[in-house]
Amino acid sequence: MLEWMVWTLPTALVFVGLALLLVVMTVWARVSPPVARRGFLRIETDRGDRLYIGLISAAVVLTAWMAVTDLSMWLALGCALLVVVVIGIWG
Amino acid sequence: MTAGSQVSGEVVTTAPAEPQETRADLKRKDNRAWWLVLPVVVSVAFTAIIPLMTVVNFSVQDVFSPSDRVFVGLDWFYEAVRRPENREAFVRTLLFSAQVLLVEIPLGVAIAVAMPRRGFWVSAALVLVALPLLIPWNVVGTIWQIFARADIGLGGWTINNVLGIGFNYTLDSTDAWITILVMDVWHWTPLVALLAYAGLRSIPEPYFQAAQIDGASGWATFRHIQLPRLRGVLTIAILLRFMDSFMIYTEPFVVTGGGPGNATSFLSILLSKMAVGQFDVGPAGAFSLIYFLIVQVLCYVFFTVLTRSGR
Repeated sequence: MLEWMVWTLPTALVFVGLALLLVVMTVWARVSPPVARRGFLRIETDRGDRLYIGLISAAVVLTAWMAVTDLSMWLALGCALLVVVVIGIWG
Repeated sequence: MTAGSQVSGEVVTTAPAEPQETRADLKRKDNRAWWLVLPVVVSVAFTAIIPLMTVVNFSVQDVFSPSDRVFVGLDWFYEAVRRPENREAFVRTLLFSAQVLLVEIPLGVAIAVAMPRRGFWVSAALVLVALPLLIPWNVVGTIWQIFARADIGLGGWTINNVLGIGFNYTLDSTDAWITILVMDVWHWTPLVALLAYAGLRSIPEPYFQAAQIDGASGWATFRHIQLPRLRGVLTIAILLRFMDSFMIYTEPFVVTGGGPGNATSFLSILLSKMAVGQFDVGPAGAFSLIYFLIVQVLCYVFFTVLTRSGR
């Protein structure tokens, strides 16, 4: 049935990861409701906003990395995750 | 527009402070209404999310058929961001969107300010301004394709023979660019004008009376009363015009087909050549994901800057 979607293991893992992330954020919001505050981004965000901004920024980091350097993509992934964490905590 | 702003000529500019919600308040809220969003989630999943997942899957493989495919990792992404043709198209599209916004937003606001506020001419002006919006994209393309032609088009012929300026959009890349830009301005400035006009009409009369009493000039009234009140509609106008111009396809496809050379090959034209013309679904998938990312980042930045800078 899903043959036409031409799944691969890496892309499946990415989407499972995203789905899990949404579930975790929902449960977390239920346990302790998010509070909006202002960080170094200078705009009011709650943790969901910061996650979104972080993920989008991570995608930008990965894309820019491919555009400008031949260094390993694992290094890029490390930087991208760092960006997510930094924005998530202090953004 | 707040309900309080029109109470018997009295102008309320600040909203009452909202009571601070505590964590306990948030926990007590009944969130079951969120289940009502489910139908939307299902239909969006069916029409957007699942196809997008498929695009992601295609972008990491060289697919000959569902059973005959090779995993290529990030190769298509490298190609998408490194091919000179793609980079040029990206710069071109960004430049086009910037020019569209720089021309259409001020022009649209100017038209809205100049439009009559009451009387018979209101309807006449609205119909006249809205007319280009009713014409389908490919028809607009066809109209301008003929209009701008040097031999039989009224516009092109006039520029060449009356003004004496050499103008041929099929040969000269600057002429082609100008034709597409003017066409977009003609087609979409009315949208900005109508949005701005609606925004202007919602400003209560007492604001203008107060400005008049203070002896404010026309410019001061515009700058300090009309323009701030247009923030909301201009946010929408800028977002719509940015997204549409960044994804423009039909009109340049009809008028120039991306030429002469590559002069008007915008990202969308390049993408459709790849995906539909050559059926390279892998590279096209990677390319469209990056395209999607750019649109998303720019829209988010615009939206955030425009909606939160006022606070």
